[in-house]
Amino acid sequence: MTDTADIPKLRQAISDHLPRRYRAEMRFRVAGLSAVGLAVAILVLLVGSIVMQAIPAFTVNQLVLPVRLESDLVDPQGDGSEASLRRGSYGRVLQEAVREQFPGVRDRRQLRTLFTLYTALNSTRLMDEVLADPGLVGETHTFRMPIADDLDLYLKGRLVQDRTLETAGRLTVAEAGRDFELTSSAADFEGLRDTVSNLLRAEAASLDTRAEQARNRAEGQTGEDREDSLYEAGRLSADADALRAEAELESGWVELSDTLPSILVETGETHLRLTALSADGRSARAESLLGDETGSELADWSLYVIDTPEARRRVSDQLIVWTRALVDRGLVSLDFNTALFANADSREPELAGVKGALFGSILTMLITLTLSVPVGVFTALYLEEYAPKNRFTDLIEVNINNLAAVPSIVFGLLGLAVFINSFGLPRSAPLVGGLVLSLMTLPTVIIATRAALKAVPVSIRQAALAVGASKTQTVFHHVLPLAAPGILTGSIIGLAQAMGETAPLLMIGMVAFIADAPTLGLEGLTQPATVMPVQVFLWSDGAERAFEARTAAAILVLLALMIGFNALAIYLRRRFERRW
Amino acid sequence: MSVTALIALAILVMLAGGFYAGRSRAIQAVAGNTVRLHSLPNYHGYYVAIWTGLPALLLLVAHGLFADKVVENLTYAELRRDAAALNAQLDEALSTDTVYEALRADAVQLRGRADSIASDLERLRSATGEDRDPERMEALDSQRLDALNAVTSADEAVLDRRMELVDGVAAAAREAGAPVRALAGFELTQAPRERRQLFLADTLNIAHGELPSRESRELVAAASIATRHQNQLRYLIGAMALVVAVAGLWRTRSQVEPAFRARNHVESLVTALLLFSSVIAILTTVGIVFSLLFESLRFFSTVPVSEFLFGLQWSPQIALRADQVGQSGAFGAVPLFAGTALITLIAMVVAVPIGLLAAVYLSEYAGPRFRATAKPLLEILAGIPTVVYGFFALLTVGPFIRGLFSWLGFEDVVTQSALSAGLVMGIMIIPFISSLSDDVINSVPQTLRDGSYAMGATRSETISHVVLPAALPGIVGAVLLGVSRAVGETMIVVMAAGQGANLTANPLESVTTITVQIVMLLTGDQEFDSPKTLSAFALGLVLFVVTLIMNVVALRVVQRYREKYD
Repeated sequence: MTDTADIPKLRQAISDHLPRRYRAEMRFRVAGLSAVGLAVAILVLLVGSIVMQAIPAFTVNQLVLPVRLESDLVDPQGDGSEASLRRGSYGRVLQEAVREQFPGVRDRRQLRTLFTLYTALNSTRLMDEVLADPGLVGETHTFRMPIADDLDLYLKGRLVQDRTLETAGRLTVAEAGRDFELTSSAADFEGLRDTVSNLLRAEAASLDTRAEQARNRAEGQTGEDREDSLYEAGRLSADADALRAEAELESGWVELSDTLPSILVETGETHLRLTALSADGRSARAESLLGDETGSELADWSLYVIDTPEARRRVSDQLIVWTRALVDRGLVSLDFNTALFANADSREPELAGVKGALFGSILTMLITLTLSVPVGVFTALYLEEYAPKNRFTDLIEVNINNLAAVPSIVFGLLGLAVFINSFGLPRSAPLVGGLVLSLMTLPTVIIATRAALKAVPVSIRQAALAVGASKTQTVFHHVLPLAAPGILTGSIIGLAQAMGETAPLLMIGMVAFIADAPTLGLEGLTQPATVMPVQVFLWSDGAERAFEARTAAAILVLLALMIGFNALAIYLRRRFERRW
Repeated sequence: MSVTALIALAILVMLAGGFYAGRSRAIQAVAGNTVRLHSLPNYHGYYVAIWTGLPALLLLVAHGLFADKVVENLTYAELRRDAAALNAQLDEALSTDTVYEALRADAVQLRGRADSIASDLERLRSATGEDRDPERMEALDSQRLDALNAVTSADEAVLDRRMELVDGVAAAAREAGAPVRALAGFELTQAPRERRQLFLADTLNIAHGELPSRESRELVAAASIATRHQNQLRYLIGAMALVVAVAGLWRTRSQVEPAFRARNHVESLVTALLLFSSVIAILTTVGIVFSLLFESLRFFSTVPVSEFLFGLQWSPQIALRADQVGQSGAFGAVPLFAGTALITLIAMVVAVPIGLLAAVYLSEYAGPRFRATAKPLLEILAGIPTVVYGFFALLTVGPFIRGLFSWLGFEDVVTQSALSAGLVMGIMIIPFISSLSDDVINSVPQTLRDGSYAMGATRSETISHVVLPAALPGIVGAVLLGVSRAVGETMIVVMAAGQGANLTANPLESVTTITVQIVMLLTGDQEFDSPKTLSAFALGLVLFVVTLIMNVVALRVVQRYREKYD
């Protein structure tokens, strides 16, 4: 028995306790909510980061050049036949077209650099255009080709840090041999001189730190190692001192090396690059990168600064200057990137597209569809409607549940060992990919079908049996049609999963570089191909930075396909779902 | 149009004809009064059609699948017969060639020496006490390796000499104007195994009208033989299929009569088809187990199981050839197991708390509208292909982690670290854990909660003291399934975890996992017999067994738990 005198005390104790308990409740609730919020935030971050990375891939900067299709170059046999047109040297035609834009470039090495404005593979595209319309031979044709991938990134502002400075003074240009000496009437170069000095000081400081580290390392070392470390420290310190001296220079010239920002003087068609700044910041030395027609006095000029040093980027000042000149002449246009959808894979990012992988995915999915859905539905029908309850059916059930959880890569090993090595089916073929994926999808289809069959009420079966239908008639005429929407939904979800699967396809060689899209037809089933997720994997490994954006774009295409599939499944479920 | 396609078309026409023949005969037999039939007229039609078309079509499919193998064997046999004379010449040349004999004797002697060293070593190893001399053992071991290498080079010398003689015989035969077919057969029978495969594949390619890897007179001659066999086989099978179809049609059509139980026959065939389908699931498992076991056993015949399971060194890349004993690479898989465990651990540290808390919130606190928006969002997370997660880990999470830790003062943080792979894998598993736990928490009976509320417990106290303990077995099952997924996950780790087999517990270093190594070993050029390739199957077997055990346990736990409250 409780002592009644204690009740107020107890009540007091409990209500004293309550705030703490409510706070705990609050904390728990917030923790739960923030877990959900975190998961959703990650989803947003994931999709958002991919969309952001993909955006540049959907547009491409194209060179729009007039090309002269001289008949002796394009049509070597002179008869206008296809065989002759195929022999034409279209590479030369393109080179001539680009040279025409920059007649001043004569040096062989410079010419070679000039031709990296575009990839040579474009000559095949030009040939295709000529083959499609042989009337072009001898004419001047306007040809559009994507600019080199790095320059495309540059034009999109994703390759370098750059800025244009307005100038106040008049520029006096004096020729000094092959170089120029520039003097501005205002303090246009002074800011640059400060920037350069600051950069040099920062560089010197970082060298000092490294020298310090080397000295510290030497403390703990002996013998030759110690000597090496000390020598390194000394060398670094000397370098730092040299830089500092350069930064603090009172008179003379500060050389602009390729580890410092590039500074370009632009006036009309002429582009000059500064090679040195005077210590007082009043004048500069420059060399010409394009054109040399300058007056001795200029009012209309601007300074273009690329803060990313030339040594630390993939495109040289020269290429950038040429590209800017082409843009000024209106020969570069930003278009929708049709190559991304119309082309198969390519080593050159600007020409690479997802068409091959898309076709491969379609073929693979067709095989998966025609195999896994019938077999899965039949299996489910057997297990759900026919199978006697015995050890054999138990075995099948356990089996299916386990297959559903076997890592996908193991299915790839199975495909390699059985389909390729034992049956001798071709590697990299959509046929084998489809076989492997259908084995993998089978459990999903079976489980979904069984759930759909279970949902059909027993009364339907009993009614059919009561009017004299046989077991098979009951199942095929009544149960299966009623379960069809559920089966369809489950199958589509299973297929969507299979479409995003990568690992098993790596095992059967669908990871090769394939430059031609497979034919959409029976013969395409044994041609080498790749699929969308594998294409994503291949591109994510690409050395060129432009592949990064294309990978993200390919992911978006893949996600769009999968969302489409899932939306279809949801629509079908809503449209045909029946509640009993 | 090829003959086979024509025959297939003919059979399809007969199949359709069979359906109408069976159906109309049944109707005729009862003079249009179909009520007197045991089965509906259509079933008679199906019955006749099935027996007309099915066996014949199966025959054609079998022809399509196995024709190449049969043609290959027939061609090989014929070419060998043609080359019999040349082979006899070669045998004679070999038996009279003193250089060859001497080389062979050398090889036998060297092998004997190697064997005796090996048995000495074995005796020494099994010895105990003072006889067990480690220094001598080491010396013997290096002697054994030398001896084995000597055997290998001696064998090579024998083979080289043999090839010289082969070339000599072939050249002489060509001079003497031997038939091309005999030369082709000689080339084929004397070629080493993989060359033989290539020769036959090229032969078949020419016979099919496709491009061979090289062209020669011998190949063309062999291809003409192959084409002959191919055509013979094609006509033979085609004729057989037609005969079978006609016989089936004739036989089953005569069976049709009013009392004939056509429906039962058709239905039993349908049942057989369904049963066959469900056997495919079992065949898949059998296929997995056998292909993994078979290749793994071949691997374990060169690398002992204990070395594979407990060795600390993993560097399969230097295994150049199976017979180079001295340089057979290192196949100690412990670094891979450790890497897999480390990444799985990180993934679970991320996924379990978030997934579980999200599940608790969604099932216990959230209103129906919140639930209806949040759950599908989580499911989207589950539906994203793993290669996308890999890309995310590689380009967003990896650089972020490197930046973060270098800013915190850690040196040499790599982009492809165990941490970034584990984090992203954890994100992938969150929806998996949350939806499974959600199910489990929802199936805890409401009465338990009501009882707890009646005692004055708050919601969180009810959840942590009543609901979660009751749901614990199911949650453990869900976590186990999550672990098994993490262990078997491939793309994230391939893209984000790196490939160096480091044995480390530092999550900022790059580690490698079982799945990464399988991918590395099996992509690119491979020869199928090297231990390097076979080791991938051994790793696959480990992966399969581990995940299988976890799945079985998890499914058991979940099932038993469900039964408890049903």
